[in-house]
Amino acid sequence: MPQADSVTILLVDDEDMVLTSIRSFLAIETDYHVLAYTSPRKALEDLDHQLIDLVISDYLMPEMDGITFLSRVKEKYPHAPRILLTGYADKENAIKAINDVGLYQYIEKPWNNDDLHLIIRNGLEKTILLKRLAEKISEVEKAQQEL
Amino acid sequence: MAQQPVSDKELEQLRSASRELEEVNRQMKETQTKLMQSEKMASLGLLVAGIAHEINTPIGSINSNNDILIRSVRKMREFLNCVQCPPEVRENPEVVKIMKVLEEINHNNRMACDRIIDIIRSLKNFARTDQAERKKVNIHDGLDSTLTLVHHQLKNRIQIVKEYGDLPEIECYPNQLNQVFMNLLVNAEQAMPEKGTLTIKTLRDGDCAKVMISDTGIGIPKGNLARIFDPGFTTKGVGVGTGLGLSICHKIIQDHRGKIDVESKVGKGTTFTLTLPLRS
Repeated sequence: MPQADSVTILLVDDEDMVLTSIRSFLAIETDYHVLAYTSPRKALEDLDHQLIDLVISDYLMPEMDGITFLSRVKEKYPHAPRILLTGYADKENAIKAINDVGLYQYIEKPWNNDDLHLIIRNGLEKTILLKRLAEKISEVEKAQQEL
Repeated sequence: MAQQPVSDKELEQLRSASRELEEVNRQMKETQTKLMQSEKMASLGLLVAGIAHEINTPIGSINSNNDILIRSVRKMREFLNCVQCPPEVRENPEVVKIMKVLEEINHNNRMACDRIIDIIRSLKNFARTDQAERKKVNIHDGLDSTLTLVHHQLKNRIQIVKEYGDLPEIECYPNQLNQVFMNLLVNAEQAMPEKGTLTIKTLRDGDCAKVMISDTGIGIPKGNLARIFDPGFTTKGVGVGTGLGLSICHKIIQDHRGKIDVESKVGKGTTFTLTLPLRS
């Protein structure tokens, strides 16, 4: 797992109050660095000069829906776990999208902070394990070539 | 020109045609009323789901913020209790008082948030606009959500007894069944103006599920029992009932290929029994 103080989380929700709540929670319980945006477009623009480890996005946003946003983030950061925040009304669509876009998890509003924390932690752990696996595979391939 | 006298046979034919017309007319009126009511319920369902959805985000935020406050106060308490904290700070009456107030109001807010979230969940579950189609659901969830919504009318007055049996999921239109539960629960509440007991019992009976909703209220006189499912029949005052509730329940249960029965004794109470096929 990356060092907690070097983890950067991208958080997007068109409601500022949601950003404040989640950012404050992560500030009090973790050392993660949080980049919070109410505009998914602006978040994508800024993505070019930022490194992120995990992304959380709302589903229903006026500029762009969360699935589209997360699939755009995937193009740049294929290994960063993508988490969708959904309201109840759009839950079924969101679940369908989990399979279509390969989301890591969805969190239903109103969310529980402990669950949110656990999902983020597990997501980050998964990234590290995948990274290690990729390294091992490349080591094995290299060794095979040498043989 | 002399008019031919109408024969008895012709007269009878005319009377019969007139009766048929009257019957058709009555059925048309009934269908129209039910249609209007079902449209009204559909738009009300959408409205309820919309409001619940809109409240969801702010309450989610308040709930999370309250959790953060609880965690922050807990951290402050830990600091106050640690050895590095000067005793004059820890024991300062103002600090002691503020900490107590903070802990109390946070606890209070948590209970308030839990209640709002529970009501919103029930409203969404009740309206179930996402489930206008036939689905397999656990009807106990529908009963519980509906109970939460009528809770304010029952509390401190009517005791609720739940005797839920082991039921598999039932293939149904969940939003419509919830409407039936709501009607029966509200009727039961209205039948008990003073104190009383509301019992909800479910059980499996072969290929059917049974839901029994009983009250210990005023009961229904024998003469009215046969008419309670007729549209427009009501004994409640103006503004209380439309006389459509039970006729709509009857129609919904019929559409589910089930049946609705009633047993009642004046002064003792009433039991409505819904029999629903597990797969219809």
